[in-house]
Amino acid sequence: MARDGFDRLIWLGLAGTLAALAVLLLGAPRGSDARQASSLDKGIERELAYQARSAFLQKIYGPVEELRAQGEAQRALLKLEELGRAYPGEAHGYLLKGAILQEFGALEESIASYVQGVKLNGDYVDEKSPLSMQTEIRQLVDRGLDEIGRRARANPDNRTLETALRNLYYLQSRLAGGCE
Amino acid sequence: MNIILKSRSLIALARPAVIAAACLLALVALSGCDRAAERPKMRIGYMNCNSEEETLQRFRPLTRYLSEKLGVDFETVPVDTQDFEERFAKGEFEFTHSNSLVYIILKENHDLRLLAAERRGQFGSRTAGAIISRKGSGIETLEDLKGKRMLFGPQLAPTGYLAQYDLMLEAGLDPERDLGYYAIPSGSFKHEKVVYGVYFGDFDVAAAPALDLEVMTREGKITADDFHIIAQSPIIPYCTFGASKQIDAELVEKFRKALLELKPEETVTIDGEQVKVLKSAWIDGFDQLLDSDYDPIRVMAKRANMPPYQEF
Repeated sequence: MARDGFDRLIWLGLAGTLAALAVLLLGAPRGSDARQASSLDKGIERELAYQARSAFLQKIYGPVEELRAQGEAQRALLKLEELGRAYPGEAHGYLLKGAILQEFGALEESIASYVQGVKLNGDYVDEKSPLSMQTEIRQLVDRGLDEIGRRARANPDNRTLETALRNLYYLQSRLAGGCE
Repeated sequence: MNIILKSRSLIALARPAVIAAACLLALVALSGCDRAAERPKMRIGYMNCNSEEETLQRFRPLTRYLSEKLGVDFETVPVDTQDFEERFAKGEFEFTHSNSLVYIILKENHDLRLLAAERRGQFGSRTAGAIISRKGSGIETLEDLKGKRMLFGPQLAPTGYLAQYDLMLEAGLDPERDLGYYAIPSGSFKHEKVVYGVYFGDFDVAAAPALDLEVMTREGKITADDFHIIAQSPIIPYCTFGASKQIDAELVEKFRKALLELKPEETVTIDGEQVKVLKSAWIDGFDQLLDSDYDPIRVMAKRANMPPYQEF
């Protein structure tokens, strides 16, 4: 059976794997205990992931928040431009940008930025998520539906306002728990 | 024998029909040629930003795209900002692409029709004018501007001159009297020169468009920590397409539709190469603004005694 050294190595490896599987099967907790342990592990994992993510976001976007707090909104936007080069797919940047653009009165662009962020990471519209920005997004949707809705009704052929309304409806649907 | 005779008579009968069909085909072909020759020719005046050569390179693909979509042979006409109104009034171009202040001048003086505004940067189809100083210079408020050396963008630039001039007037400062000295750089890339003028310490403060700050930051030419933003204007519309009042309304609507439907992946062939239309023009897309969106610029221009409301 074992013709040469290579065959022996394969058989040895196979035996080792079977032994490890047996230990895992015999040593693992059973029934509800197993499920409880597993969900506990998942809970810890999730918590750890959120904490790590919050720390990461704080480290990366802290300077932007600082500039905002000092009333330097335009420099905060420029800082986001810089960060966008290093983290182009990071949803948090889009959410922050949306908030700053709203302060400048760029409502359509603010809504578009929130949409991009939410598409990248649904946690921002999830009430249970520590990252949730449900309240801010809901306020933006209410304001947008009022202001843009009024303009759109007065200019029914305006495609730009139509796009902004579509974005608002998208956010509204995500807030209501609708998937993409 | 009979068969041969029958086929001969059939050929004889068919001959006039064949000749008629050939004539008809020739007529169709000729009328097609005529139609191609009859394609209307029109011109789009594009405001020069840095140079005529750059303007042509940027906007030829967009002009080609519009020609293909509208069935009109459009020509790209580069126009200097200061000559824009005069050349438009002479009928040298029927469609316009200019900054928002030039749009207002043409709207007020020549009934130019609003088509769409280009989208570029964080504020979409709008941007703002900022007054900047070098970080650490100690110049941090509008009051600090008194007696300082300031660099402005070109005079008809809404967010490179007008917005900042107006910001100062609103703060009770008269740029003509209260600044120690002010200048406008010559040549190309004026907005970048304005930013670099402060960056390298030749001037104390400068009038920089927020969009240029944004683009230069994105390109790594400057950082957000290099400058202090002393003041910033409200956001106002950016570069705008317009149409002469003489142009047929249906064509105007088709032109607007073609602009609004333009997507980043759209390409045209230029000198045998496939070129992305929007990327080539440095544009993200187009927005359909309302003429009332330009009212804040009108208010600024009136306050700063600028065209089209200038009084001597």
